[in-house]
Amino acid sequence: MSLLDILRGRAITIPPLDGAFRPNTLLEDAEAIARLTAPDDLIVVDGRVFCSSGDTVVALGETQPVARFDVRVACLAARPGGGFAAGLEDGRIILWQAGSGPEIARPAGLDCPTALLFLDRDRLAVAQGARGLKPSDWVRSIMGHDRSGAVWLLDAAGGAARRLADGLAFPWGLAANVDNIIVSECGRHRLLSVPLSGGPAKPLLTGLPGYPARLTPAAAGGGWLAIAAPRNRLIEFVLREDDYRQSMMAELDPRHWIAPALASGRNFLEPLQCGGVRSMGVHKPWAPTRSYGLVVRLDARWQPVSSAHSRAGGQRHGVTGLVEHDGRLLVASQGGDVVVVLP
Amino acid sequence: MKLSESLARLRYGLFPDHLVGEVLSKRWTDNAIPLVFLLATVIGVGTAIPDFFSLASLADASRQLGEFAIVVMGLTIVMLGGGIDLSVGATFALSAFASVAVIYIMGGPIWLALLAALATGAVVGAANGVLIGYLRLRAFLTTLVTFTILHAIYSILVVNFSAQVQLADVQTPIWDFIGDGGVAGFPISLIVAVLVAILAHVFISRSRLGWHVLAVGGSRRSAFNAGISVRRTVFMTYMISGLCSGLAGFLIGARLSGVGPGTGAGLEILALTAGVVGGNSLGGGRGSIAKGLMGAVIVLILTNGLIRLGFTSGTNQMVLGVVLALAVFLDVRWLKNRSKVLAKVYVAPVYSALPSTPSAEPDSGSPFALNDRLAETEFIGLGEIEGPEDVILDEDDNLYCGTRNGEVVRFLAPDYKQWEVFAHTGGFPLGLAFDRAGALTVCVGAMGLYSVARDRTVTRLSAETNRTPFSILDDARLRDPNDCDIAPDGRIFFTDSTTRYDAHDWALDSVESRPTGRLLVYDPRNGRTRTVLRGMSYLNGVCMAHDGQSLFLAESWACRVHRYWFDGPKAGRLDCVIAAMPGYPDNINRASDGGYWMAWLGMRTPSYDLALRKPGMRKRMTRRLPQDDWLFPNINTGGVVKFDENGAITEVLGNLGGHSHPMVTSMREHKGALYVGGILNNRIGRYRLEGADPSWTGMRSYWGEGR
Repeated sequence: MSLLDILRGRAITIPPLDGAFRPNTLLEDAEAIARLTAPDDLIVVDGRVFCSSGDTVVALGETQPVARFDVRVACLAARPGGGFAAGLEDGRIILWQAGSGPEIARPAGLDCPTALLFLDRDRLAVAQGARGLKPSDWVRSIMGHDRSGAVWLLDAAGGAARRLADGLAFPWGLAANVDNIIVSECGRHRLLSVPLSGGPAKPLLTGLPGYPARLTPAAAGGGWLAIAAPRNRLIEFVLREDDYRQSMMAELDPRHWIAPALASGRNFLEPLQCGGVRSMGVHKPWAPTRSYGLVVRLDARWQPVSSAHSRAGGQRHGVTGLVEHDGRLLVASQGGDVVVVLP
Repeated sequence: MKLSESLARLRYGLFPDHLVGEVLSKRWTDNAIPLVFLLATVIGVGTAIPDFFSLASLADASRQLGEFAIVVMGLTIVMLGGGIDLSVGATFALSAFASVAVIYIMGGPIWLALLAALATGAVVGAANGVLIGYLRLRAFLTTLVTFTILHAIYSILVVNFSAQVQLADVQTPIWDFIGDGGVAGFPISLIVAVLVAILAHVFISRSRLGWHVLAVGGSRRSAFNAGISVRRTVFMTYMISGLCSGLAGFLIGARLSGVGPGTGAGLEILALTAGVVGGNSLGGGRGSIAKGLMGAVIVLILTNGLIRLGFTSGTNQMVLGVVLALAVFLDVRWLKNRSKVLAKVYVAPVYSALPSTPSAEPDSGSPFALNDRLAETEFIGLGEIEGPEDVILDEDDNLYCGTRNGEVVRFLAPDYKQWEVFAHTGGFPLGLAFDRAGALTVCVGAMGLYSVARDRTVTRLSAETNRTPFSILDDARLRDPNDCDIAPDGRIFFTDSTTRYDAHDWALDSVESRPTGRLLVYDPRNGRTRTVLRGMSYLNGVCMAHDGQSLFLAESWACRVHRYWFDGPKAGRLDCVIAAMPGYPDNINRASDGGYWMAWLGMRTPSYDLALRKPGMRKRMTRRLPQDDWLFPNINTGGVVKFDENGAITEVLGNLGGHSHPMVTSMREHKGALYVGGILNNRIGRYRLEGADPSWTGMRSYWGEGR
């Protein structure tokens, strides 16, 4: 607290992009292997890479979609022993196996699946983003300070469902870790460790410089974390400005909100910040931005060790899904409409 | 409108938040802290000692004050020059001895006594000045050494001669009058001090040498680079300090009719405290004689008050020490934080609700719908020029633009590959217009209205207008002259977009949205500038209508276009022609078909429009976030629109994504092509206009055929 704070109010700060998060252009320069509309989640099933894109699940390198649904596919999980599960925009969770998909029984209140994870062939962990919202409504959840997210453990064999954690701010990624599930809590910029045996969730990694999305294990131990959007001081400010925030959410089209985004700069009605002004033909890569591309390598203790970036003004923004395949990391950039591969 | 919005509108409309920043930006606010301290001291001591401010008490105090203030003023000048003089007390004592010795030992006349005192001061000052100014020794150590030596000499002299002085029987009425008498109740020493104060104030604030002192104190290196003789200036300050001490010594000699071992003891600390408490910066460059005087009064009241309250001299010194420490602390903090506070509190947003407007989205079907036609421009001077806010072509097809380097650049016809600096104006040349004689009239941001003749001589036409009564900021000066146009009779109408922000901070004016833009007219017949309209929201483009009696005016942050009649039957009338637009208008220029081209420097965004209705939010934003993170109007996408006499939109040229021309601040039609400039761009664009008159030029449109 400095003397100046009385005059100006507390300055708003965000974690700097430094240390393991030092900016580079690895993601921006990465090789593109597939151009899809808004690729979201990635999984590997029997050596094939599946990617959700709109209402379809496509296998990379194949022309015909593997599966097509009547609503957007929100998340995917590979099922040990074959097949996969797909969470849909309307809340349903489908077990897909060889062309057909029965719906799995859900407990009441589980209506927003954002990430799925099979612990074994039957036990399925589900991240519930926010009650009453759609999985694609993550921005509304964050800007609305929603805290109704939860993690559930379902049983595909028909056993009872268990709630492992609740009161979360849009959990968006799951990874298994011995007796725990690692959960990325988007709205609080952190990773949690949720014990399978029940008991309180424990923060593992806090103060992330962005909004974390999906997690995927790494063959060499630890995992990878997709960051969907960067933290931005103006957004943090708006999150504290209730009057403005509520008017904005009530009156404005969500595409034009001051809010994190998977892609930005495509429409002139989007908000602009001073640092983002293009001067002499240059858009600064370090300009404040609503969208960013960031993939983080986490070590066995789930601490960040390195990262790959697509900076302000870049194209590969809004990374939500990733998976390791053949010793390489595949990254789905939803904002950039592309799947790229990191060596 | 919701109640909370009405309240916000009232709150931010009625309460003049902007005055805080304006007052803080004034140099005289530096006086605030010492003044408050002075008042506190007066009230405190006055309450504690009921008869402290009685006449008798004041008469005695003012006599002391006279001598003390003279010493403080000398020291203040040294401090302003970035130095320090610890030898003032010893000089003071020695000078007093010199004058007393002339009177009582030599029996000399008064003038000789005065001369002796002044000579003593001058010799000491010169010694200090040579050592510090020319030989560049450290001021603190050097004057400490002079102090020690002088004090030693003084002690020896006092021991040897005080008996002689006391025993001498010399009657000199004038001497006694100087010491005890007064004019109209004011003691001589005080009158002398006032005279010295006036002289010193004029010297510091009005004379070349005084400015040199401030410059040297502010930054020796810059002063040296500016050609100031730093060494001589420093020498001068010590000389002046020595003379002041000498004069004060003469006065105390007269008052005490002698000298004692305690004369001048501790005076340097008192004087130094006075200088610093008054608000003179120890680092030099900032301060004034008035501050020195305030400090002198504070210190004197404090010391006398403490003595009257019965405190011992130890306590007295301790209080002074504490006060000195406090003053130094405040000096450092103030100096360090003033600009920070100013930067944080200067922006004072007001409520502004922009009217709703047809959309500019490409598929909206509205008359404003943007397209991507400006992406087809060919580039002129790509990467070679920075910031062509306005562009104009002469009768030989040469293309002119201003740049942010303060130059007017000329691209040579016909291919515009070659360019040259046509003239250097400094500042940021913005709006351009050719007058009847072919001279280029230039609005230079942060400077004023200039004219560049054909032979490239730059003349200043206007840099000020009439000042508004009671304005804190000096709104007589032109802060952001933006665009100009010339009436058939030669009068130049030009806009000064804001009185609150400098030209390079123009976008901040939008965050504040306080309407302070003005339309001014410069009359070449008498050389005067007059304010025609005021209180407009970032008044930007100005363009003579084809009728020669009226002009179009763009109000950028209000997204409006007005028509103003300055001549003819409708003279003085102001009509709003376009009441709402989805973009922020900039320059307006004539089109060949009788219409007008208008640049959009940026586009409204829903989030920013909402923020304009929430002044409190914008205010907190400017205080809690660094500027790079502030929400701005979208000035990354602009465009060009054409409207007719009635304000109906007839054509739109846009650049979606802004990769060719992110923002457009100006455009000129010339022989079937449109030349596009932008203040943040590094290029000029040329766009072929389908079906436009291939012979039409602005020069002929304004000044007739044959041009």
